[in-house]
This record gives sequence, C-alpha cells and structure tokens, in this order.
Amino acid sequence: MIARILMIVLMLAMAGCSDSGDDTGFAGLAESVTSPSGNGGFLQPGPDIGISLPEDFGPHPRYRVEWWYLTANLVTPSGAPLGVQWTQFRQGFRPRDPAAAPEPGAWSLDAAWMAHAAVSWQGRHWFAERLARADTGAAGARADPLDVWLDDWQLKALSGKTWQLNVRSHKPAAAFRYDLTLTLRGEPVLHGQNGFSAKSASGEGSMYFSLVDIDIRGTVTIGDDTIPVTGQGWFDREWSSQFLKSGQQGWDWFALHLDSGDKLMAFRLRGSEQPFVSGTWIPKEGNPQALGNQDLSLAIVDSRDGYPVRWRIRVPSRNLDLQVAAPPGRYVNPGRFPYWESPVQVEGSRTGVGYMELTGY
Amino acid sequence: MNAAAALFSHYRRHPLQLVALALMILISTMLWSGMNHLTDQARSSLGRAEQSLSEGSQVIREDGAPVTVADFARLRRAGLCVMPWLEVPDPDGVGRLIGIDPLAAACFASGAMSGEQPALDGEPFIDMARAARLAGSPGDEAPPLVLLAADSVSADGLPTGYALASFARGPDTGELGASFLLNLDALGVLVLLITALLLRAVYQLSIVQRRDSFALLHRFGVPGKRINGLLMIEVLVLAGVCVLPGVWAGAQLARALGEGFGRSLEGLFDVTLYADGSQWWRSILVMMIVVLIACLPVRTLPHWLKRSRGVGWLGLGLLAIGMVWVAWSPGLVWTFVAVGLVFVGAGVLVPRLMAGIMATLSSRVDDPLGRWRYRELGVMARQLALPVVALQFTLALVLAVQTLVTTFEATFEQWLDQRLAAHWYVQVPEGRSGDRAADWLAQKLEPGTAAWHRIRRGTVMVDSGAGPSHRVDLLAVSPIGPLMEKWTLQSSLAHPWKLLADNQGVLINEQLALRYGVGVGDSLVLTLNGRVQSRTVLGVYADYGRPSGEVLVNGADLPADFQPEFESFSISPGGRGEAWLVSGFERIWQVPEIEIRENSDIRAMATRVFRQTFVLTRAMTFLTLTLAGTALLIMGWVFITSRAWYLQLLVTWGLSRREAFGELVRVSLGLTTTVSLLALPLGVWLTWVLVHRINPQAFGWSLPMAVYPGFWLELLALSTVIGLGIAALMGRQLRPGRMVALPANQSGGGER
Amino acid sequence: MTPPVLETKGLSKSFVSGTERVDVFSGLDISLAPGQSLSLVGRSGSGKSTLLNIVCGLESADCGTVSILGQRFDTGDAESPRARERRWASLRRQRIGVVFQDANLMPALSLADNVRLRARLAGRSTTDSQDWLQRLGIGELANRYPDQVSGGQRQRAAMAMVFAMQPDLILADEPTGSLDRHTADEVADTLFALQADAGVTLVLATHDTELAGRCESILDMAHRNDPGPGG
Repeated sequence: MIARILMIVLMLAMAGCSDSGDDTGFAGLAESVTSPSGNGGFLQPGPDIGISLPEDFGPHPRYRVEWWYLTANLVTPSGAPLGVQWTQFRQGFRPRDPAAAPEPGAWSLDAAWMAHAAVSWQGRHWFAERLARADTGAAGARADPLDVWLDDWQLKALSGKTWQLNVRSHKPAAAFRYDLTLTLRGEPVLHGQNGFSAKSASGEGSMYFSLVDIDIRGTVTIGDDTIPVTGQGWFDREWSSQFLKSGQQGWDWFALHLDSGDKLMAFRLRGSEQPFVSGTWIPKEGNPQALGNQDLSLAIVDSRDGYPVRWRIRVPSRNLDLQVAAPPGRYVNPGRFPYWESPVQVEGSRTGVGYMELTGY
Repeated sequence: MNAAAALFSHYRRHPLQLVALALMILISTMLWSGMNHLTDQARSSLGRAEQSLSEGSQVIREDGAPVTVADFARLRRAGLCVMPWLEVPDPDGVGRLIGIDPLAAACFASGAMSGEQPALDGEPFIDMARAARLAGSPGDEAPPLVLLAADSVSADGLPTGYALASFARGPDTGELGASFLLNLDALGVLVLLITALLLRAVYQLSIVQRRDSFALLHRFGVPGKRINGLLMIEVLVLAGVCVLPGVWAGAQLARALGEGFGRSLEGLFDVTLYADGSQWWRSILVMMIVVLIACLPVRTLPHWLKRSRGVGWLGLGLLAIGMVWVAWSPGLVWTFVAVGLVFVGAGVLVPRLMAGIMATLSSRVDDPLGRWRYRELGVMARQLALPVVALQFTLALVLAVQTLVTTFEATFEQWLDQRLAAHWYVQVPEGRSGDRAADWLAQKLEPGTAAWHRIRRGTVMVDSGAGPSHRVDLLAVSPIGPLMEKWTLQSSLAHPWKLLADNQGVLINEQLALRYGVGVGDSLVLTLNGRVQSRTVLGVYADYGRPSGEVLVNGADLPADFQPEFESFSISPGGRGEAWLVSGFERIWQVPEIEIRENSDIRAMATRVFRQTFVLTRAMTFLTLTLAGTALLIMGWVFITSRAWYLQLLVTWGLSRREAFGELVRVSLGLTTTVSLLALPLGVWLTWVLVHRINPQAFGWSLPMAVYPGFWLELLALSTVIGLGIAALMGRQLRPGRMVALPANQSGGGER
Repeated sequence: MTPPVLETKGLSKSFVSGTERVDVFSGLDISLAPGQSLSLVGRSGSGKSTLLNIVCGLESADCGTVSILGQRFDTGDAESPRARERRWASLRRQRIGVVFQDANLMPALSLADNVRLRARLAGRSTTDSQDWLQRLGIGELANRYPDQVSGGQRQRAAMAMVFAMQPDLILADEPTGSLDRHTADEVADTLFALQADAGVTLVLATHDTELAGRCESILDMAHRNDPGPGG
C-alpha cells in the first residue's frame, strides 16, 4: 500500500523536479524537445573550455546534465557475445559552485542521479534503473581516484589504470549482477573541437571525451547462472547544459570497435531539419580525427518494432562502408524514459563489434 | 400579493427571527462541520498509522541513537531499499506533513505494482528538502528522521549496528484507534442531534407564530399542499444560503482547535494528526439533510414517542440489557454498543418517568394550584421530550468527562509529586557527562539529611519471550534512594526498591505491562548497546498520560559505554543551598552558566501541558452543553408560548403578574432540576464505565473511580440558570398591557 | 347606600394605527347596581372585549375612572402600578368572574380540579365544587379533562368555576360564541338562571342580539347611546 502511494508521489515529484520548465526529461532522454530552455544560470559548453584531466572525470555542478557511460562487448567462454551497459546520469536543477555542497541533512534537491544497467545476451535484454537525490551521500561522483556510485552500484578506480564496476539488480523481473575489472589502455580521446562536440549547426553541444580501449574481464550473473566474461569496453564522459536543440527529437549513436584495432564514434541528431551528423575516427595508432557532415553518412537500412536496427555507415575518406546491425531481439531500456541500447555486429568493408543507442523513437 | 409573498412577509415583519434562524443554521453547521473536519483528519491519520503498522518497518540504530542522513546513505550504499520519512508540523494549517524523498522511494514500487491505485492529492506528502527546512536545525525539538524499509529489506541483510523495527512510533493502535474513532463519532452524532433539535426549535417557533397566516391563506383558498411546498422551498433556500458559509467557518474552527486536538491525539495515542483535505461536500450534504429533517415535518415527529405504552417497557428493557452488557462486555466496541443501548433506553424512559413522577406527585397534593403545577410539568416533560433527553445526555456526559478529567488530574498530580520528590533539578549540559557530578554529590551530601539521584534516559530493546522485540523507553536511576521509595506501585515483589538497588531486576510501567502482557516476576530480555541481559520484573508502576512502555533500571546496571539521550539530577541538598549546587556544577562541567530549576516549576509546567491536552475535551463537552441548554431554552420558549394563554388565565383568576411569574419560574425550574437530577445517576454510571471499562482498554492505563459532588452542584446550578432563562423569556408574555390572543389550535381544550 | 357594583366615568380608550389615532370608545359612563345585567353589542373591533378587559384590570384605559364595589381606579391617580395591580388582582380573585368564549379551563386539570382551583383562589370552600358541576348538569364528568368533553360541557364547567367563586360581578365575553344554537341556548339559560338566583351583576359581550336582549340593558358599542336602567 505504502509503496503504491509512494509510486504516485514519485511520479508527481518527478514531474515537478525539473523547475526549468523544459521537456527534455532526465538528461535529455525524453522523446522530443519542443521548447527551448533558458540556461537557468548553468554554464554552456564551448570549444574554448577544453578538457582537463583527471578533474573532468568528476561531476560538473555548474552544468545541467552529464553522464558516465560504459558499454562492453563481451564474450562468454563458449564464445557467445554478451553486451553490458552501465550509465550514471546527473541532472542538475540548480547550478552551483562545485565547492559549495549543501549539508547532507538538508536533503537539498540541487540535482538528482539516475543509473541504468543492462545485460544483453542470447537475444534477451535485462534492465534496471536506480534514482537518488544528490548530496545525501547515497549517490555521487569523484574525479580522483575515480568513484561514481549510486546505492550499491559503483565504478571506482582500484589504481591508475585499473577500474572496477559492480552492479547488482535485485528486481525479481531482472535479477542480474556484474562484477567487472577494467584495464585502461591508450589515451582519452577528445571528440569534436578540443573536446567540444557540437550537436547542431547553430552551436549547441556538449563536452565529450572517451576511453575507447578498455580490456574487461569478470563475471556476469543472470538469475542463478554466473558466467565468466572477457571483452572490450568503451567509456564516455559527457556533460552539457542544453544537449538537444529545440526541435531535435533524439539521436542515433554508435561506438564501434573494428577488428583492425581502429575505432569509430558516430552520431546523428534528428530534427525537423536535415539531421546533424558528427563523429570521430580513431586510428589504432592514435591521432583521432573529427568527422563532420561532409565526412560521414549514416543511413537506415532496416527497422524493427519502430527502431532502425540495421544501418549503413560510410566514411568515404577512410574507405569505410559498414553494415551495422543489432542482433535479433528487443533491446529497449524500459525505464522512465525508454530508449534502445544494444550491442551491434559490424560487417562490410571492415568487421567488428560495438554499441548502438537510439533515443526519441 | 401572491401566496408566497404573503407567507414570507412574516420575515419582513420579524427580520430578527430570520436572522436568528439563519445564524442558527450557520453556527450549527460550523460546529458540526468543524468537528467533522477534525474527525475526518483524525480518521485518515489513524488509518495511516494502522496501515504503516501493518505493512511498514523501519531501520533503527542498535545503539539507540537517532538515525541520520549518514545512516541513510550507508544503508542505501549497502544496497538496501530504505527511504527517509520526516514528519513536521504544517506551518499553514492543522496537522502534520510528511517529508519523503521520491527518488529514494522509487525502489519501493518495484515489488508492489499490483492492485488499484488510491487517489491522492499530494497532501500530506512533501519533498524532504522542504520538510528538512520546516524541521529546523537538529536538536531536542527537531522531529526525528525515520528510515522506512521496503519489504525486500530483511533483518539478516542489515549492516551491523542496525536493526529492523516496526514502523509505528507508538503502541498498537488497532483497538485504541477504533475506540477513539467511536468516541469521535459518538460525539459527532450527539452534536448533530443537538443541532437538529436546535434548528427544529427555532423553526417551530416561527411556524407557531405564523399559524394564523397559514389559516388565513387556507381560508383564501390556498391549498395546504401548496403552503407546505412553499415552506419547503423556504427551508431549502435558507439552508442553501447558510450551510455554505457554515462549512467554511467550520474549516476555520477546525483550524483553530486543530492544535489542541492534534496534541490530545498525539498525547493519548501517539498518533499524529496529518494535514488532509476534507470532504467539504459531505458536510454540506449532511447539513442540508439535517436542516430538512429538522424543519420539514414540524407536526409529526415525536408523536409515536409520546403515547405508546410498549415503548416505555422497551426503554426499560434496553436500559437493563445495556447495563448488564457493559459489565460483561468482551471488547471495547461492545462496550460502546452497550453504552448506546443504555442511552437509548434512558432516552425513551426519562420523559415517561418524569411524567409519571409528576402524575404521582400531583395526586398526592391537595392544593389545587400545586396540583396544576405538577400536572403542567408532566405535560412539559412529554412535550419537550427530545430537548429534555438531549439535555440529560449532555449533562451526564459533562459530568462523566469532568469527573474523568478531574480524577486523572488528581492522580497525575499525585504521580508528579512522587516523580518530583526532590527539591532541585539540574539538566546535564550538552556534551558533558554526569559521572563526576555524581561522585561529587555522593561525597558531599550527607545520606541522612540530603537525597539525590541521577537520571539517564534512552531506549532499550525488550523481548518478553512472546513475539518480536520492541523498542521502549529506558529510565535509569542511580542511586536508588529515598526519593524513589514514595512511588506508588500497582503490584510488586516484596521490597522492590531494595532489590532494584541490589541490581536484582527492573521495574516496568503499566503501559508496557498491559501491552506485552508482562507481570511481576516475569523475566525480560533487554538489549542495550549490544549487551543482552535477562532481568526479572520487580514491580509495575503507574505512568500517566502517555502511551509508551518504559523500563526502569538501576543506573549502576548500565553498560559503561551507554550514551544517554538525556541526563539529569534530582537533588534535595539538605542544609546546602542553591548557590552551592550551582557553583559546584559549573566547576565540574566547566560551563559558564548552569540552569538549576525548582521542581515546583517543572510541576507547574507539567500541569499546564496536561491541562492543554484536555482543553479540547472540555471545550467540546461545554460546547455541547451550551447547545443542549440553548435547545431546551428555545424549545421551552416555544412550548410556553403555546401555553401563554393559560398563564394569563391565572392572572385573570386573580394572581398578580408577579405571582403568575413565580408559578412560571417554579414550573421551568422544576423541569430543568428534574432533568439534571435524573442525569446524575446516568452520569455517575457513565463515569464508572469510562474509568473502569473504557479507559484501560482504550488508553492503556487505569484510574481510580471518584465522585465529585461539587460537580453535581455545578450542574444543578447550570440547570437552574437554564430554567430561569426559560422563565425570563416567558415573563415577557405577562407584562401588563399585553393580552395574549387565544391560539387557534388551543380551542380543543389544550394539550394535557 | 350600597355603591354600584360597576361604575365607569368618562372612560376612553384609543389605539394608534399608523400615524392615526383611532378612538375605540370615549367618555363612557356606565353604572350597574347589584343583580343588574348589561349586554355589550357591536361589530368586531367595536371595543367590547377591550371594555371587559379594562373593567377587570387586565388592560388600562387612557383616561377615566372605573369603580368596582366602591373601589375606585382612576387613570389620573398617582397610585403605583404595583399597588393598583395588587388591588385589581384581589378583585379578580374574589369578586369578578370572567368567562371567555373558550379555553376557560386548565387543560392539565380535571373539570373538578379546575373548579376547586378557582374556588380556592377565591378563598371559597373547595368541597362543594362537585355540587356546582352537578347543578350545571355535568356532575358525572367531574373527573374528565377538558379535551375529553364537548365545547358546551366545557362552557358549563367554566360557569361552574365562576359561580363556585361566588362573585359580585361576572364578565362574559361571547360565552356561547363557539357553540351551536341549541347548546348556546341551554348554556345561556343556565347562565341567566344562576345569575338571577345569585343576584350577581352581569356584563355580557356578544354578537347575538337575541342573547343580548335577555339582559336588562344593551350598550351598542358601534353606535353608542348611553344605556339607561331598563333601557
């Protein structure tokens, strides 16, 4: 009974949470953006800001939204592919000085945290969601040593190059957990212009960098079965204050590990106008190259249940012509703001694996 | 002029009567809907308390310290679904608001998404941040944070240092709550009844005065049905116009009384009054119906009650059954039903009894005027049956409640005297310990002339061997000395204080004994700071006015690391003075200023708080009495207006107006005095029921039965005032030069 | 010389209706010796009942004098209202019997108790109340209550009460007004018989010209001419 009452209260409160009056939902995950939102005192990202590490692994309370995001293309001992996603979002309601954290006992609601975890295996998809208010200690993030947590989900640095991710879902319908050790290789990749990744022609965008070469091993437990896994991961850090431009409906995003050792990040923002396309080509030897509208094309080849599940991605300057496809199954994360998140298989001029995120459908 | 205009012209000629009627509807609506508003709120608050009791549990710290946001974070990070729950007073209104964190609450929903969803308008839930602001800074006065646990949280899964407890800060409210609601409902029905009587009285007055107009209209060919229809429209319009502002005023009344009401609710049941939207439309509907019922069938209502002889026997039967039933009733609900039976029986019987008594008296009197007086009283008793019965009930209720409260007060004061036996009281300052002060007192004070003890309070987990453990209050006293030995114990082993001083066991309060079925000689398992001990119950002491269970232990028996929530000293320093104590404590605790208080001040304060708790009860009964008195007054006025001719007959027969007024006074005083005399046995009986049957079951503690003849005299005086009021109103009819016309309906010989 | 039982001199009464002053009667002189009877006639509102009320002290005149058995009440006297009230009450109690059209009885008392009460107030013996009921032909109804007997029987009982007090003056206001013709005649017969028998002075207000004609003199309140003895 109490639970049911609280559920309703929750929905009321969530509706009232975002006091800026925009419809972007949590971290811009809502289905469509219909009204422009003022910056409400939040800083706007730009090409002059730059990325500074390790500070930027930590939270940015002067910005409205940000996330820590890991996708992993893993394999079981039998060689079957298994996908894992973990994302922790922060949604600010009031900008503030990073040094001016309120007293935990005040239960202030300057920001809220949300975490998503999913496991995709054998055509099935398990998903869990957690929420927390900021500044009570139940959820938070720290840059150095890295620590990002919400309840008992946690990504933390064990040493400079070794991280650990622990996630457990107690939901009866999706009882799973994963305990993964991440070994970081290579340098962080700054997307766009000096880490500023434009999201529209008129200049909206986010600060965005990635760790694209991560060795992962550990276990994934689904129900009572614990499966040893190994594979490679992709870690994104991204923050902004106005992620989507007014009129933009959602995005299609790809992070691909090619068997050649090269990596490709590509996304497309859909709106009433021409989609805005952007990406980063990351050669194995380093020296990543930003890709713009003229360098990159993303085209839908096939759709399933309203989601475009097969794509053709071309980078003519690199002679890339890729067929990217999700495996059979439905990979929708059924949280408060549903979106598609699935591993993908790459074929065509190169082969590989990767992850695809489709929002706003 | 059409019929309607002719009919309503009465109010043009008597605008005050219209105003009186309108005010009466407005005020009764206000009283009833105000009370209804409060009871509605209490009902939903109790419902919530029970709901949370049956389904909720909370995480508490095993060390007894209050939980904080740090505990919340720690538990959440251990993967446990807990959420904060902070109850704060509503700054804008009545009752309390509940602060919750909707984000933390999200995990509560996962396991329980089935079933229909209840309608909820947001109240009383508010966001934690606002609740935390309303709660103010943490301290003695700040409301405590509760960490509500989802069903998925099990005691085994908790980190060390935490325990699971039921989410009910008070006692089991099951039967207590139900009985309280019955109490409120009974009072509500009484107020509604009196409201109806009042309206009926005033409206009847205007009808009596308009009878000639009706007859005239009838003679002019307006059918009776049409006249009745017009009257119905009149009542509906009047009710419609007056009920709405009445309901609004009721909400204001509820707001004004809410604080005191909330305090009684909290004090008596530990149930918090939550702010809640009230169903105002229900108040409007009920009041409209009451107004209609009270006003429309003006001529028909009490006829069946007046004559049939079987009804008298029925009343007697109900009375007898009710009385026996109360004595043997198995539970509280049945007790209330039985009390209801007795009241119905008494209500049916009393007007008949009064008429019977008057008939007997009149036949024994030789003086024809005396005979007339008694006969006239008998007629009144029957004619005014409804207000007479209402007044009788109210008088009985007032008597019983007054006696109960006074008994309670006397007992409470005696209890306070025992608890505050020492002369001085010192609270140990924040952050200081009482250890050195205790050593100092032990050294300096002579045991023969001085007496003192140290009091430490906290909470302790108690396991009585049956059912789960409970968290109860802990009272640790040391040394056990002469200040304690005056305490009245309800039951005990031989030499309980000596045994306590020797660490041979503990004492418990009556509440704990009743609630968990523990008695003298039983053993209790106490868990304090992780230390588990079994202790024998040496005695049970009375502990009034609060619901919590409490264990009294010898302070020497506490674990060394026990951190009291509160610590104080009680001292009768013999020959030493206040200055000596103050300077000593300031030196020991290294504080610039120490507050030392006289226990008599504390006693005065406790008495004040106690009285506030009962302000509402007293106000309600007094209000009801006023209403009942007014109802009888107005009904009496109506009645005597219809008898005015006969009073004037006495004047025609040669009584001076003064003598005739004397007769009037004697008759009306005779009526009210008889009513209050007949109310006395009912009131005493009701007192007995409250003290011996209802109180122990409903509140958890018992009281001695007492009789206060002073109240009887007060009530008699009050009924005298009402009687004189009726006579004074009627005396106007006897003023010289004022001839009463023979009422049209009296030509058949008159009611006898 | 025995004083008149009832004597009025220059008696006037008026009331205010709106802004107008309406005379009910003015300069009224009446004088009635013991045993005489006078009827007051005239339409409703001509002041019959008002005059009766004034001559028994229930209302007061605007000016003029009323004397009952030599006791003089003058509107011009400086007598205190209370003392005047006391004198009037004493006269009504013992000397003046009043009979109204109806409702002359206390409803809560039996017919016999009503008669006893009236006799006791007048200071007469209560033992012969049964005799009076008997003489008025309702002796068997003595223990009935007013609502248990007919209108005619009630008026007989009212007369039994009046005669039981042995008055000097009887004021009757439409005593047969609510009765049917036959009963009215019977009641009137009894009234006049007893009046003659006891030698009581009677003032009778009535619409009924036939009944009025049975009195020794008639005063027409609407078209007033001073009544003379036997006039």
